[in-house]
Amino acid sequence: MEANTAKRRKLGHSNGGLTLGSASSSSMGASGSSAYILETDELLEEAKISDYNKAFPGLSETLRQFKDVIESLDDHEPLPISDVSASFEKTNRVAIPYPDPKPRKDSPYKLAFAKPTQVNVVGSYAFQTMIRTQAAPSVDMIVVMPASLFQEKDYRDYRYFYKRAYYLAYISAGLRRKFGTMDFSYSNLGGNVLLPILSVCPKNKSSKQDSADCAVRIIPNAPEGCFPTAKLSATSNAVRHTNPQDTGDSKDTKMPTPFYNATLKAESLFTSFLRLLHNSQKTCPAFQDACILGRIWLQQRGFGADSATGGFGHFHWAVLMALLLQTGGRKGEPTLSPSLHATQLFKATLQFLASANLHKKAVVLGQPTPEPEAIRQPLPVLYDSSRGINILSNMTLWSASLLTEQAKWSLSAINGNPRDQFDPLFIVKVNQPLQMFDLLLRVKIPVSRKDTRLDDCRGFLWSFCDTLYRTLKKALGERAQLIHIEVPKTTSWPVTATSSRAKTESLQVGIIVDPAKASQARDFGPPYEQKKEAAKYQEFWGEKAELWQFPDGNIVESLDWTQFAPFGFSGICEALVRYILKLRLELSDSDIEFYGQDPSRIISLSPTDKTAFDKARKAFAMFEKDVRDLNDLPLQVKQIAPIAPELRYASVRIPDVDMRRRVSRPIDAIVSFEMSGKWPENIAAIQRMKVAMLLKIGSSFEESNDAVKTHLGLENVDRNTQNLAFLDIVYDTGFCFRLRVHSDLEETLLDRQAKDKTLERHDRTDAADLVTSLKQTYTNLPLQNQTISTFCTRFPELSSSIRLTKRWFSSHRLSNHFDEALIEWFVLQAFLHPYPWTTPSSAVMGFLRTLLLLARWDWRDEPLIIDPQEALSSSQRIGITTRLDAWRKIDPNMNRTTLFVATSHDVTGIAYTQGISKVVATRMTSLARAACKAVKEKDLELDIKSLFLSPLRDYDVVIHLAPKVIKSVQQDDGTKQSLFKNLSGQGRKEAPPLLEEPVELLLKRLNAIYPSPLLFFNGGAEDNIIAALWNPQLHSRTFTVNMPCSFKPVDQDGDMFELNRDAVLAEIARVGGDLVEKIDVKGGD
Amino acid sequence: MAEMPTSSEDFATLPVSIPPLPSYPVQATHYLYLRRNAPRIATANDSRCLFLANVPVDSTEPHFRALFANLVGAGRFESITFEQDRKVAKTSHEPAQAERLAKMHKKRKREDEELQHKREEAAAELPDTWTRQLHRSGSSAVALLADEKSVEAVLKAVRKLKKSKKYPVWGEGVKDKAPPLGSLWLKAHNKMSYPGNDVVQDVMDAYFTVFNRKEEEANQLAKRLRNEPDEDGFVTVTRGGRSAPANRDEAEEAKQRMLDKQKKKQDDMQDFYRFQLRERRKAEQADMLRRFDEDRKKVQAMKEKRGKFRPET
Repeated sequence: MEANTAKRRKLGHSNGGLTLGSASSSSMGASGSSAYILETDELLEEAKISDYNKAFPGLSETLRQFKDVIESLDDHEPLPISDVSASFEKTNRVAIPYPDPKPRKDSPYKLAFAKPTQVNVVGSYAFQTMIRTQAAPSVDMIVVMPASLFQEKDYRDYRYFYKRAYYLAYISAGLRRKFGTMDFSYSNLGGNVLLPILSVCPKNKSSKQDSADCAVRIIPNAPEGCFPTAKLSATSNAVRHTNPQDTGDSKDTKMPTPFYNATLKAESLFTSFLRLLHNSQKTCPAFQDACILGRIWLQQRGFGADSATGGFGHFHWAVLMALLLQTGGRKGEPTLSPSLHATQLFKATLQFLASANLHKKAVVLGQPTPEPEAIRQPLPVLYDSSRGINILSNMTLWSASLLTEQAKWSLSAINGNPRDQFDPLFIVKVNQPLQMFDLLLRVKIPVSRKDTRLDDCRGFLWSFCDTLYRTLKKALGERAQLIHIEVPKTTSWPVTATSSRAKTESLQVGIIVDPAKASQARDFGPPYEQKKEAAKYQEFWGEKAELWQFPDGNIVESLDWTQFAPFGFSGICEALVRYILKLRLELSDSDIEFYGQDPSRIISLSPTDKTAFDKARKAFAMFEKDVRDLNDLPLQVKQIAPIAPELRYASVRIPDVDMRRRVSRPIDAIVSFEMSGKWPENIAAIQRMKVAMLLKIGSSFEESNDAVKTHLGLENVDRNTQNLAFLDIVYDTGFCFRLRVHSDLEETLLDRQAKDKTLERHDRTDAADLVTSLKQTYTNLPLQNQTISTFCTRFPELSSSIRLTKRWFSSHRLSNHFDEALIEWFVLQAFLHPYPWTTPSSAVMGFLRTLLLLARWDWRDEPLIIDPQEALSSSQRIGITTRLDAWRKIDPNMNRTTLFVATSHDVTGIAYTQGISKVVATRMTSLARAACKAVKEKDLELDIKSLFLSPLRDYDVVIHLAPKVIKSVQQDDGTKQSLFKNLSGQGRKEAPPLLEEPVELLLKRLNAIYPSPLLFFNGGAEDNIIAALWNPQLHSRTFTVNMPCSFKPVDQDGDMFELNRDAVLAEIARVGGDLVEKIDVKGGD
Repeated sequence: MAEMPTSSEDFATLPVSIPPLPSYPVQATHYLYLRRNAPRIATANDSRCLFLANVPVDSTEPHFRALFANLVGAGRFESITFEQDRKVAKTSHEPAQAERLAKMHKKRKREDEELQHKREEAAAELPDTWTRQLHRSGSSAVALLADEKSVEAVLKAVRKLKKSKKYPVWGEGVKDKAPPLGSLWLKAHNKMSYPGNDVVQDVMDAYFTVFNRKEEEANQLAKRLRNEPDEDGFVTVTRGGRSAPANRDEAEEAKQRMLDKQKKKQDDMQDFYRFQLRERRKAEQADMLRRFDEDRKKVQAMKEKRGKFRPET
C-alpha cells in the first residue's frame, strides 16, 4: 500500500508536470501555434491607440462643447412643414436634407424642435476600439430626439425622416453659429439615403498630426420604443403613396418595405445596442481585442458599414460577436465563451460567418424564434430576436456571399499551415479586384428611371444592381463561383445643399469563375417534356434558347456558345453576359466594358493546347513501350522517365511538330536500369559504359523499328566525370526524344569522393556539385514531372499560369538564371496556398498571385517550403529552416546560396536554385514588387502587357544578335538544302536534330569565359538580345598572375590595374562574329 | 599554377591593338603581360619559354605565331600551350582494383608495350566537338620559342614598343589559319557533336579493350600478390579470395538488416521503465517550451524589422 502511494505520488508528479505543459499550450490557443498568437498580440499592440487623449488632442473638449451647444438650443413650437422649411433655409443658409421624395408643399405635417433627451458619444471612440490605420477616423455622437416630437403614425410615409432631417438641420445651424471655423457637411449614415447625418471636422487640413482630421459625426435618432414594432415587420408596408397619381392602387399598398422598416426600427435601437456592447465588454475581457481584430480583418477586405462597401462594418461585427456571446448555438446556448482568447473569439466568429450561409437563408439569433414568413425579405437576414431587427438590412445579396466566401477562405488559412495564418488574415490587402476576380466588367448605369416605387426606398441604383445581380447569377449559373458588384460610394455634401450631387456613372462587376465549368460551350436547360420549366427557360433566354436533340435521345432546351469557344472561358462568358444584359436589362454593347486581361496577347494560349501536350505525352508513352520492348539489351530497363517540361504541360511553347522544321525540339528523358554489378568502378569508365549502352539501344532500335532513326550526340567531352553523351531518337512522326542513362553507381562514387577527406578541397566541392546536379536530373526532375502533371489535371488553370509566368521571367531576361522547374514550383505554391483568396481560377490570376508570392517572399530569412502532398513532418520543416539559418551563418553575404526552395522531394533547398546570384534574386523580387504595385494601383486600367515589357536601359551592355544568322544556324543541318521546298522535308529523318538553340549555346560559352566580370541576362531561345551588367565588385587592383579577367594598367607605370572593358567587349564581338549585330554600351554613343 | 603571384615589375607589358569591328566599332587595346618562364618545377625547355598572362579569349597558335613574327620576325616561334591545355583532365581511367593495387605495387613497364598502350589509348579518345576552343578571360599561356635568344629578342622588342607606340595588331596575318568563330563555329559544333554512331562505337570498343586489359592485368597482379609474401614476409590482402567477393547490393542489404535489428532492439526497450517514460515526457515538455521561445524570438525579430505588423493599405 505504502509503495503504491509512493508510486502514485511519482506518477502524480509527472502528470502534474504534464498538465503544466498543456496549460501553457492552451493559453497559446487550441491551434497550438504560438507564433500566430504572438503575432496577433504584436499586431494588436501596434494597431491599438493606447492613449486617446494624446492621439486626438482637444477632441474631448470639442465634444463637450458640442454637447453643451446642442443642449442649449432653443425649443420651438410645431409649425407647418412648408413654412418652416422655407424660412429656416433662408435665415440660416443651411439646407434641410430631406430624403427623396421631398415633402409636398401642402403636407399637413408640423415640425418642431425640443431639447434632446440624451447626447452621447458612442461607437469605437467610446469603446476604444479604433485602430491606427483607419482611413478616416471619426467619432460618433448620437442625439436622441425627445418622444414628444413624434406622433404614433410618424412611422408612415417618411414622416419620421422628415422630422429627423429638420432636427439635424436645426442642430447644424446652431453649431455653425458657434463653430464657424469648422467644416460642416452632410453625408448618409451607412449610405442610406433616409439617414442624413452631420459631420464636422476642423477646417485647416494641415495634417501636422494625422489625428487632427478626426471628424465628429452627429447622428440624431429616435427614443426607444417610439414606433409600433408590429407595423414594422419585414412583411408590412409603411410607405403608402409614393406616387400621387395612383394612390389607392391596392397592389402598391401591399408591397412590403423591409428596408424602410428595418431602418426605422434601428433608429430607436441605438441605445439598446449600446447597452449590449457595453455588457459584452464587461463580461468578456477579450471582447475589445477581438473587435479590433475583426475591424482589421474587415478593413483589409474593404468591408464597411456603408452599403457600397458591403454594409457590414465593425459595428455589425461587434454586435454579432456580442450576440454570439449570448446565444447562437443549436439550442440557444452561447456560441462563444467569455473566457476565450481574442484570437479564438475571432476565429469562432469567422466560423459562424462561414457556416451561416447568410446569402442563402435567414439566420435567427436568440429567442423567441419568429415565423420564417415574418422575416422573409429579399435581403440577407441575421435576425436579432430580442430586439426584433434584421442586423444585416444594409447588406446586399452579393456582399453577403462575398463575406461568406471571405470568411471561408480566411478560415482555411487559419486551419492550414502555421506559416499562412497571420499575414493573409490581417496584413495582406485583399480587395484587389485583379487578384480576386477572373472577369471584370464595368456597366454603365442607364439614365432612364422607371419602377422607382419598387425599390424599397434604397434608390434607383440599388434596385438596378439587384436586378443586375440576379440576372447575372441566373444566367451564369454554375459557371460563376462568385459575382460581386462594386457600387460607388455616396459622398458627403456641404450643408448648404439638400442632397448629394455626385452622379455615379458605372458599376464594377467582378466574377470568379469555376474553371472546370466556365468554358463549357453549351448550356443545357430543362427537357422538352417539362413544359413549364422549358417555357420559363425560353422566356429568360429569349431566342437564344433552342430545342436540341442530343445523341442520347434527350430533347432539351439548350444554349449554344460554340462560336466563342476558341476564346476560352472569357470569350464565352463575355458573350453570355453581353447577350443576357442586352435582352433582360436593355444594356447595349457600349454600356458594358470588359476588362479582360487577355493572356493570349502575350503567349499563344488556347483551349486546344492541352491536346497538343497530350499528344506529346502519348508519343512518349509509345516511345517508352518501344524501349521496353527492346529485348537484346544487356540490362533490364527499370524506368524510363520524362524530365522535359513539354511532358508536364509546362513548356511555354506547345510541343507541336512543325513540318517545315527538321524535327521537334528534342524532349528530354532518362532511362535507368536494374541494379547490376557489371558497372565498372571508375567514374570515367562509367561514362563510357553509358555511351556504350546508348549505342546499344540505338542499334537495336533501328533494327526493330524502321520508323526510327537514332543519333548519338556528345556533350562535355572535355570533362571525363560528367555525362558524355545522349541519344536522340527521331520518330518519323517528327517527335524526337533525347535519352540519357542513369547509373546509381556514379552517384555513389561521386558521393564517396565528396566525402573523402584525403582529396583536395576543390576536387571535393567539384564532386559535391556533380552529385547535386545528378540528383537534380535523375531524381528530382522525374518526380517533378509526375507532380506537376498531376496538379495540372487537378487545377485546370495551372498549366497556362505556369506558361505565363515562365514568359514573364523570360521577358525580363531572367530565364537563363531560373530553372524552369523552379518557376513551376513557384506557381504551384501560389495555387496550393492561395490565402487569403481561393485557388486561382484563370491563367492571369494564377500568374498575378505568383508575382504576389514572389513579391512578399523575404528570401533572406524565409525558406520557401513547397509540400504538395503534405508529406513533410513538422520536424522536417524545422530542419529546413535550420538549414537555411546555417547557410546564412556560413555565407551571410549570400554569395553562394540566395533563394532557398525546399520541396518534399528535396529538403536540401538548393537543388533548384544553384547559380542564382544575389543580384538576380533581388531583381526578381523588385520586378515582382513593381508588378504587384501596378496591379494594386492601376486596378482595372492595368494593361497586362505592360507587366511583360522590360526596358533595356537598366543594363550596362546590350548585345544585339542578328536574327537571320541565328535562323541560319538553326536550320543548318549539315546536309545540303534542297532548292525545292517540297523536297526539303525528305531528308529530315536522316539529319540529326538541333543540338541546342544557338543563343543558348553562345551564352553558355560566354558564361564560361567571363565568369566574373559580366553577368549576362537573356530571355531564352526567342530573345535576340543578350544583356549584361558589369560586376561592380571588380575594383582596380595590383597585379597578380591569375587575373579574374582581362585587366589593363590604370596609368603608364602605376601598379594598379583595372578591368579592360573595351577589350572584353571587342572579344565578345570577335567570338560572336556574324551572330553579333551590334553592341550597345550604356552611357556610350 | 606553378607561378607565384608576382608584382608587375617582373612582367613586360605588351599592348596589342584590337581593330574595330562593325558590331563594335571601338578601337580597343588589349594588354598582354609576359616574362621568362620560371615554373617552380623546372623543365628542360624553360630557358626558351615565355610566360604570357592575360591572353585574349580567342587566342590560337596562328594568332601568336603572327604576333611574334610581327615583333621579332618569322621563324622564332615554335608552339604555345594554353592554361586549360596544361590542366588536362587528370581523371584516372584505371579500374578501381588496379588503382588500389598500384598504390602497393609499382609495376615495371616495358617501353615497347608502353608505346603500344599509348596508341590504343589515343584511339579510345572521343572526338572533339569544337573547331576552336576559347580561353577564360585573363588566363595565361606558355609560348615555346626557337631558342634563348628569341626570348631575349621578344622582351627587347616589347620594351621598344613603349617608345614607338606602334603596337602590333591582333589577328593580323592570321587569315584563315584559325578556324572562324561566329555562326560557322556554332554550326560546326552542332555537326561535330553528332560524330555518327559507328564512329563512337569504334571509340568505345577501343576504350573497353584497354579497360578490360587493365582489369585483367590487375586481377593477375592481385592473384600474384595473394600468394607472394613481400620482403617483410607479409602477404597482401586483396579482393577476391576463396569465396567470391560480396556483391555491393548484398552488402547494403546486410547492413540494412543489421540496422533494422538494432532499431527493433531499441524500440522494444523504449517506455519500458518508468524513468524512460518520465524522461521522454520531460523532453517533450522542454521541446514545447523551446519552440515557444523560438516563436517568440522570431516574432521579436520580425518586429525589429518594423512595419511587419502594419496592415497593408
